[in-house]
Amino acid sequence: MKRNWLLPILVGLITAGAAWHGTLVATPYALMSAALDKIAAGRVNTFVFPQLSTADNQPIVRPSPDLSYSTCVFDLANGPVLLDIEPVPDHYWSISIFDARTDVAAVRSDRDTGGKSARLALIRKGMAVPKGYEPVALRYDKGLALIRILMTDAADFPTIDAIRRKSTCKQL
Amino acid sequence: MKRWQRYGICIALGLVGGAGYAISQVRGDYTAKQISNGPWNANTIQGTEKATALIRAKVALHGIMALPAKEAMYYIAKTDSDGAPLNGKCTYTVRGGPLDARWWSVTLYHGEGWLVKNEANRWSVPGNKPVRDSDGNWSFTVSPKIANGVWLPTGGIDGFDLTLRLYHAKGNLLTDPANATLPTIKKESCA
Repeated sequence: MKRNWLLPILVGLITAGAAWHGTLVATPYALMSAALDKIAAGRVNTFVFPQLSTADNQPIVRPSPDLSYSTCVFDLANGPVLLDIEPVPDHYWSISIFDARTDVAAVRSDRDTGGKSARLALIRKGMAVPKGYEPVALRYDKGLALIRILMTDAADFPTIDAIRRKSTCKQL
Repeated sequence: MKRWQRYGICIALGLVGGAGYAISQVRGDYTAKQISNGPWNANTIQGTEKATALIRAKVALHGIMALPAKEAMYYIAKTDSDGAPLNGKCTYTVRGGPLDARWWSVTLYHGEGWLVKNEANRWSVPGNKPVRDSDGNWSFTVSPKIANGVWLPTGGIDGFDLTLRLYHAKGNLLTDPANATLPTIKKESCA
Protein backbone atom coordinates (compact mmCIF):
# COMPACT_ATOMS: atom_id res chain seq x y z
CA MET A 1 0.00 0.00 0.00
CA LYS A 2 2.69 2.49 1.03
CA ARG A 3 4.87 1.52 -1.93
CA ASN A 4 1.99 2.32 -4.25
CA TRP A 5 2.10 5.94 -3.11
CA LEU A 6 5.86 6.46 -2.98
CA LEU A 7 6.40 7.38 -6.62
CA PRO A 8 3.22 9.49 -6.96
CA ILE A 9 4.24 11.48 -3.86
CA LEU A 10 7.71 12.00 -5.30
CA VAL A 11 6.16 13.23 -8.56
CA GLY A 12 3.86 15.47 -6.52
CA LEU A 13 6.81 17.04 -4.68
CA ILE A 14 8.64 17.68 -7.95
CA THR A 15 5.45 19.21 -9.34
CA ALA A 16 5.15 21.42 -6.25
CA GLY A 17 8.71 22.68 -6.72
CA ALA A 18 8.08 23.44 -10.38
CA ALA A 19 4.78 25.17 -9.59
CA TRP A 20 6.47 27.25 -6.86
CA HIS A 21 9.27 28.37 -9.16
CA GLY A 22 6.96 28.90 -12.12
CA THR A 23 4.63 31.10 -10.07
CA LEU A 24 7.53 33.23 -8.81
CA VAL A 25 8.95 33.63 -12.32
CA ALA A 26 5.56 34.47 -13.85
CA THR A 27 4.50 36.98 -11.18
CA PRO A 28 6.61 39.98 -12.34
CA TYR A 29 5.49 39.55 -15.97
CA ALA A 30 1.83 39.34 -14.92
CA LEU A 31 1.97 42.33 -12.58
CA MET A 32 3.97 44.41 -15.06
CA SER A 33 1.52 43.59 -17.84
CA ALA A 34 -1.37 44.70 -15.65
CA ALA A 35 0.48 47.87 -14.63
CA LEU A 36 1.28 48.74 -18.27
CA ASP A 37 -2.37 48.27 -19.28
CA LYS A 38 -3.52 50.50 -16.42
CA ILE A 39 -0.95 53.23 -17.05
CA ALA A 40 -1.26 53.24 -20.84
CA ALA A 41 -5.06 53.22 -20.99
CA GLY A 42 -4.71 52.68 -24.74
CA ARG A 43 -1.92 55.22 -25.27
CA VAL A 44 1.35 53.62 -26.40
CA ASN A 45 4.63 55.23 -27.47
CA THR A 46 3.67 58.63 -26.14
CA PHE A 47 4.24 60.35 -22.82
CA VAL A 48 1.38 60.76 -20.36
CA PHE A 49 1.73 63.50 -17.74
CA PRO A 50 -0.34 62.67 -14.64
CA GLN A 51 -0.94 64.96 -11.70
CA LEU A 52 1.06 64.49 -8.48
CA SER A 53 0.26 61.32 -6.52
CA THR A 54 -2.29 61.59 -3.73
CA ALA A 55 -4.38 59.10 -1.79
CA ASP A 56 -6.99 59.48 -4.55
CA ASN A 57 -4.50 59.22 -7.42
CA GLN A 58 -2.25 56.16 -7.14
CA PRO A 59 -1.74 54.52 -10.53
CA ILE A 60 0.98 52.24 -9.16
CA VAL A 61 1.90 50.90 -5.74
CA ARG A 62 4.17 52.90 -3.40
CA PRO A 63 4.06 56.22 -5.28
CA SER A 64 6.07 59.14 -3.96
CA PRO A 65 4.02 62.31 -3.44
CA ASP A 66 7.28 64.30 -3.75
CA LEU A 67 7.88 63.29 -7.34
CA SER A 68 6.27 64.32 -10.58
CA TYR A 69 5.93 61.19 -12.71
CA SER A 70 5.62 61.09 -16.50
CA THR A 71 5.08 57.75 -18.18
CA CYS A 72 5.43 56.25 -21.64
CA VAL A 73 4.34 52.67 -22.18
CA PHE A 74 6.39 51.56 -25.17
CA ASP A 75 6.11 48.77 -27.70
CA LEU A 76 9.07 48.01 -29.96
CA ALA A 77 7.17 45.56 -32.17
CA ASN A 78 7.21 48.02 -35.08
CA GLY A 79 10.63 49.57 -34.56
CA PRO A 80 12.73 51.64 -32.16
CA VAL A 81 11.17 54.16 -29.78
CA LEU A 82 13.01 57.43 -29.25
CA LEU A 83 13.02 59.33 -25.96
CA ASP A 84 13.98 63.01 -25.77
CA ILE A 85 13.94 64.09 -22.13
CA GLU A 86 13.80 67.78 -21.37
CA PRO A 87 16.13 68.71 -18.48
CA VAL A 88 14.72 70.48 -15.44
CA PRO A 89 17.20 72.99 -14.03
CA ASP A 90 18.06 72.74 -10.32
CA HIS A 91 15.88 69.69 -9.75
CA TYR A 92 16.68 66.01 -9.48
CA TRP A 93 15.24 64.26 -12.49
CA SER A 94 15.74 60.86 -14.07
CA ILE A 95 14.48 58.70 -16.89
CA SER A 96 14.31 54.99 -16.14
CA ILE A 97 13.47 52.16 -18.51
CA PHE A 98 11.69 49.09 -17.10
CA ASP A 99 11.32 45.91 -19.14
CA ALA A 100 8.45 43.43 -19.15
CA ARG A 101 10.10 41.48 -16.31
CA THR A 102 10.31 44.68 -14.18
CA ASP A 103 14.12 44.85 -14.52
CA VAL A 104 15.68 48.26 -15.01
CA ALA A 105 17.27 48.36 -18.46
CA ALA A 106 18.69 51.86 -17.99
CA VAL A 107 18.57 54.91 -15.74
CA ARG A 108 19.89 58.34 -16.68
CA SER A 109 19.59 61.23 -14.27
CA ASP A 110 20.72 64.85 -14.35
CA ARG A 111 23.86 63.60 -12.56
CA ASP A 112 24.63 61.39 -15.55
CA THR A 113 23.86 63.97 -18.24
CA GLY A 114 25.45 66.92 -16.45
CA GLY A 115 22.10 68.67 -16.52
CA LYS A 116 21.68 68.25 -20.27
CA SER A 117 18.84 66.42 -21.97
CA ALA A 118 18.79 62.63 -22.25
CA ARG A 119 18.29 61.12 -25.71
CA LEU A 120 17.68 57.38 -25.66
CA ALA A 121 16.79 54.93 -28.43
CA LEU A 122 14.91 51.90 -27.13
CA ILE A 123 15.71 49.00 -29.42
CA ARG A 124 15.58 45.25 -29.83
CA LYS A 125 18.69 43.46 -30.99
CA GLY A 126 19.49 44.27 -34.61
CA MET A 127 17.55 47.54 -34.80
CA ALA A 128 19.43 50.58 -36.13
CA VAL A 129 20.12 53.48 -33.76
CA PRO A 130 19.60 57.02 -35.09
CA LYS A 131 22.54 59.39 -34.78
CA GLY A 132 22.62 61.34 -31.54
CA TYR A 133 20.76 58.74 -29.49
CA GLU A 134 22.16 56.42 -26.84
CA PRO A 135 20.99 52.86 -27.49
CA VAL A 136 19.15 50.93 -24.79
CA ALA A 137 18.78 47.30 -25.87
CA LEU A 138 15.76 45.48 -24.46
CA ARG A 139 14.92 41.79 -24.28
CA TYR A 140 11.19 42.37 -24.63
CA ASP A 141 9.05 44.57 -26.88
CA LYS A 142 7.01 46.11 -24.10
CA GLY A 143 7.98 48.13 -21.07
CA LEU A 144 7.76 51.52 -19.41
CA ALA A 145 9.79 54.72 -19.64
CA LEU A 146 9.36 56.74 -16.45
CA ILE A 147 10.46 60.31 -15.78
CA ARG A 148 10.82 61.31 -12.14
CA ILE A 149 11.20 64.99 -11.24
CA LEU A 150 11.70 65.94 -7.62
CA MET A 151 9.26 68.53 -6.31
CA THR A 152 10.97 70.37 -3.47
CA ASP A 153 8.00 72.71 -3.37
CA ALA A 154 4.55 71.72 -4.64
CA ALA A 155 4.03 75.33 -5.71
CA ASP A 156 6.59 74.72 -8.46
CA PHE A 157 4.37 72.15 -10.12
CA PRO A 158 2.93 74.42 -12.87
CA THR A 159 6.46 75.39 -13.92
CA ILE A 160 7.71 71.81 -13.77
CA ASP A 161 4.63 70.60 -15.61
CA ALA A 162 5.29 72.98 -18.51
CA ILE A 163 8.91 71.80 -18.77
CA ARG A 164 8.18 68.07 -18.59
CA ARG A 165 5.62 68.31 -21.39
CA LYS A 166 8.48 69.13 -23.76
CA SER A 167 9.77 65.57 -23.34
CA THR A 168 8.78 63.18 -26.11
CA CYS A 169 8.40 59.45 -26.60
CA LYS A 170 7.77 58.41 -30.18
CA GLN A 171 8.17 55.51 -32.52
CA LEU A 172 10.80 55.96 -35.21
CA MET B 1 -7.50 3.29 -5.93
CA LYS B 2 -6.09 3.10 -9.42
CA ARG B 3 -2.54 4.09 -10.25
CA TRP B 4 -3.51 7.12 -12.38
CA GLN B 5 -5.71 8.36 -9.58
CA ARG B 6 -2.79 8.31 -7.13
CA TYR B 7 -0.63 10.29 -9.60
CA GLY B 8 -3.47 12.66 -10.34
CA ILE B 9 -4.08 13.43 -6.70
CA CYS B 10 -0.38 14.01 -5.95
CA ILE B 11 0.20 16.19 -9.04
CA ALA B 12 -2.90 18.28 -8.29
CA LEU B 13 -1.83 18.75 -4.69
CA GLY B 14 1.68 19.63 -5.86
CA LEU B 15 0.41 22.26 -8.27
CA VAL B 16 -1.91 23.87 -5.75
CA GLY B 17 0.57 23.61 -2.89
CA GLY B 18 3.56 24.91 -4.84
CA ALA B 19 1.70 27.83 -6.42
CA GLY B 20 -0.06 28.62 -3.15
CA TYR B 21 3.18 28.70 -1.20
CA ALA B 22 4.75 31.00 -3.81
CA ILE B 23 1.77 33.36 -3.64
CA SER B 24 1.90 33.42 0.16
CA GLN B 25 5.62 34.25 0.02
CA VAL B 26 5.09 37.06 -2.50
CA ARG B 27 2.15 38.49 -0.53
CA GLY B 28 4.00 38.13 2.75
CA ASP B 29 6.24 40.63 4.49
CA TYR B 30 7.89 42.79 1.82
CA THR B 31 10.85 43.39 4.09
CA ALA B 32 11.53 39.70 4.77
CA LYS B 33 15.02 38.61 3.69
CA GLN B 34 16.11 42.22 3.25
CA ILE B 35 19.09 43.78 5.02
CA SER B 36 18.03 44.90 8.51
CA ASN B 37 19.20 47.91 10.47
CA GLY B 38 17.10 48.62 13.56
CA PRO B 39 13.51 49.02 12.36
CA TRP B 40 14.63 49.65 8.79
CA ASN B 41 15.01 47.11 5.99
CA ALA B 42 16.48 47.56 2.52
CA ASN B 43 17.82 45.59 -0.38
CA THR B 44 20.47 46.59 -2.86
CA ILE B 45 19.67 44.31 -5.80
CA GLN B 46 16.10 45.22 -6.70
CA GLY B 47 15.56 46.03 -10.33
CA THR B 48 18.76 44.28 -11.34
CA GLU B 49 19.66 40.96 -12.93
CA LYS B 50 20.97 39.85 -9.53
CA ALA B 51 17.50 39.87 -7.98
CA THR B 52 16.21 36.40 -7.16
CA ALA B 53 12.85 35.28 -8.50
CA LEU B 54 11.30 35.85 -5.06
CA ILE B 55 12.73 39.36 -4.64
CA ARG B 56 11.68 40.29 -8.17
CA ALA B 57 8.14 39.04 -7.53
CA LYS B 58 7.91 40.84 -4.18
CA VAL B 59 9.14 44.11 -5.70
CA ALA B 60 6.62 43.73 -8.53
CA LEU B 61 3.80 43.51 -5.99
CA HIS B 62 4.96 45.95 -3.31
CA GLY B 63 7.24 48.41 -5.12
CA ILE B 64 7.02 48.08 -8.89
CA MET B 65 9.13 50.60 -10.87
CA ALA B 66 11.58 50.97 -7.98
CA LEU B 67 14.94 52.40 -8.95
CA PRO B 68 18.21 50.51 -8.52
CA ALA B 69 20.29 51.31 -5.43
CA LYS B 70 22.79 53.61 -7.09
CA GLU B 71 19.95 55.92 -8.01
CA ALA B 72 17.73 55.56 -4.95
CA MET B 73 17.82 53.59 -1.72
CA TYR B 74 14.54 52.57 -0.14
CA TYR B 75 14.55 51.82 3.59
CA ILE B 76 11.25 50.47 4.90
CA ALA B 77 10.20 50.32 8.58
CA LYS B 78 7.21 48.31 9.72
CA THR B 79 8.09 48.54 13.41
CA ASP B 80 9.32 51.17 15.82
CA SER B 81 12.86 51.07 17.21
CA ASP B 82 11.69 48.74 20.00
CA GLY B 83 10.37 46.22 17.48
CA ALA B 84 6.64 46.86 17.99
CA PRO B 85 4.52 47.06 14.79
CA LEU B 86 3.72 50.62 13.73
CA ASN B 87 0.13 51.43 14.69
CA GLY B 88 -1.82 54.31 13.19
CA LYS B 89 -3.52 55.01 16.51
CA CYS B 90 -0.16 55.76 18.17
CA THR B 91 2.10 58.78 18.14
CA TYR B 92 5.76 58.40 17.18
CA THR B 93 8.78 60.66 17.02
CA VAL B 94 11.12 60.04 14.09
CA ARG B 95 14.50 61.50 14.91
CA GLY B 96 17.69 61.55 12.89
CA GLY B 97 20.80 63.41 11.87
CA PRO B 98 22.41 64.36 8.57
CA LEU B 99 21.81 61.75 5.85
CA ASP B 100 24.47 61.48 3.18
CA ALA B 101 22.27 61.74 0.10
CA ARG B 102 21.24 64.35 -2.39
CA TRP B 103 17.67 64.24 -1.16
CA TRP B 104 15.55 62.22 1.25
CA SER B 105 11.94 61.89 2.25
CA VAL B 106 9.83 59.69 4.53
CA THR B 107 6.46 58.49 3.19
CA LEU B 108 3.68 56.68 5.07
CA TYR B 109 1.97 53.71 3.38
CA HIS B 110 -0.50 51.03 4.33
CA GLY B 111 -1.16 47.58 2.87
CA GLU B 112 0.96 46.72 -0.13
CA GLY B 113 2.13 50.32 -0.35
CA TRP B 114 -0.74 52.78 -0.68
CA LEU B 115 -0.96 56.38 0.48
CA VAL B 116 -3.41 56.87 3.34
CA LYS B 117 -6.34 59.29 3.19
CA ASN B 118 -6.06 61.96 5.87
CA GLU B 119 -7.49 65.36 6.65
CA ALA B 120 -4.23 67.20 6.05
CA ASN B 121 -3.68 65.66 2.58
CA ARG B 122 -0.09 65.01 3.59
CA TRP B 123 1.64 61.72 2.86
CA SER B 124 5.33 62.40 3.29
CA VAL B 125 7.93 64.51 5.04
CA PRO B 126 10.50 65.85 2.56
CA GLY B 127 14.02 66.22 3.90
CA ASN B 128 13.96 70.00 3.67
CA LYS B 129 10.98 70.39 6.04
CA PRO B 130 12.16 69.46 9.56
CA VAL B 131 14.10 72.16 11.41
CA ARG B 132 17.76 71.29 12.10
CA ASP B 133 19.72 72.03 15.25
CA SER B 134 23.32 73.22 15.06
CA ASP B 135 24.50 69.61 14.56
CA GLY B 136 22.04 68.96 11.75
CA ASN B 137 19.73 66.81 13.90
CA TRP B 138 16.02 66.88 13.15
CA SER B 139 12.75 65.24 14.17
CA PHE B 140 9.12 65.03 13.16
CA THR B 141 5.93 63.51 14.54
CA VAL B 142 3.87 60.67 13.11
CA SER B 143 0.42 60.58 14.70
CA PRO B 144 -3.31 60.31 14.02
CA LYS B 145 -3.96 63.83 15.30
CA ILE B 146 -2.37 67.16 14.45
CA ALA B 147 0.91 67.74 16.29
CA ASN B 148 3.30 70.60 16.84
CA GLY B 149 6.10 71.01 14.34
CA VAL B 150 6.35 68.84 11.26
CA TRP B 151 3.55 66.28 11.36
CA LEU B 152 2.93 63.18 9.26
CA PRO B 153 -0.68 61.93 9.66
CA THR B 154 -1.44 58.21 10.03
CA GLY B 155 -5.11 58.62 9.16
CA GLY B 156 -5.88 56.51 12.24
CA ILE B 157 -5.41 53.22 10.38
CA ASP B 158 -4.36 50.07 12.21
CA GLY B 159 -0.99 49.36 10.64
CA PHE B 160 1.38 51.24 8.36
CA ASP B 161 4.96 51.38 7.20
CA LEU B 162 7.39 54.23 6.67
CA THR B 163 9.59 54.38 3.56
CA LEU B 164 12.77 56.42 3.73
CA ARG B 165 13.82 57.30 0.18
CA LEU B 166 17.36 58.51 -0.42
CA TYR B 167 18.31 59.76 -3.88
CA HIS B 168 21.97 59.46 -4.86
CA ALA B 169 22.85 58.06 -1.45
CA LYS B 170 26.50 57.80 -0.53
CA GLY B 171 28.70 56.00 1.98
CA ASN B 172 27.18 53.31 4.19
CA LEU B 173 23.67 54.32 3.20
CA LEU B 174 24.44 52.92 -0.26
CA THR B 175 27.16 50.34 0.26
CA ASP B 176 26.56 48.99 3.76
CA PRO B 177 22.90 49.46 4.77
CA ALA B 178 23.29 47.18 7.80
CA ASN B 179 25.73 49.62 9.38
CA ALA B 180 24.39 52.95 8.12
CA THR B 181 23.24 55.53 10.67
CA LEU B 182 19.48 55.78 10.24
CA PRO B 183 16.66 57.65 12.00
CA THR B 184 15.07 56.20 15.14
CA ILE B 185 11.32 55.70 15.55
CA LYS B 186 10.15 56.14 19.13
CA LYS B 187 6.61 55.40 20.27
CA GLU B 188 5.34 58.24 22.48
CA SER B 189 1.74 57.21 23.25
CA CYS B 190 -1.32 55.43 21.88
CA ALA B 191 -4.94 56.53 21.72
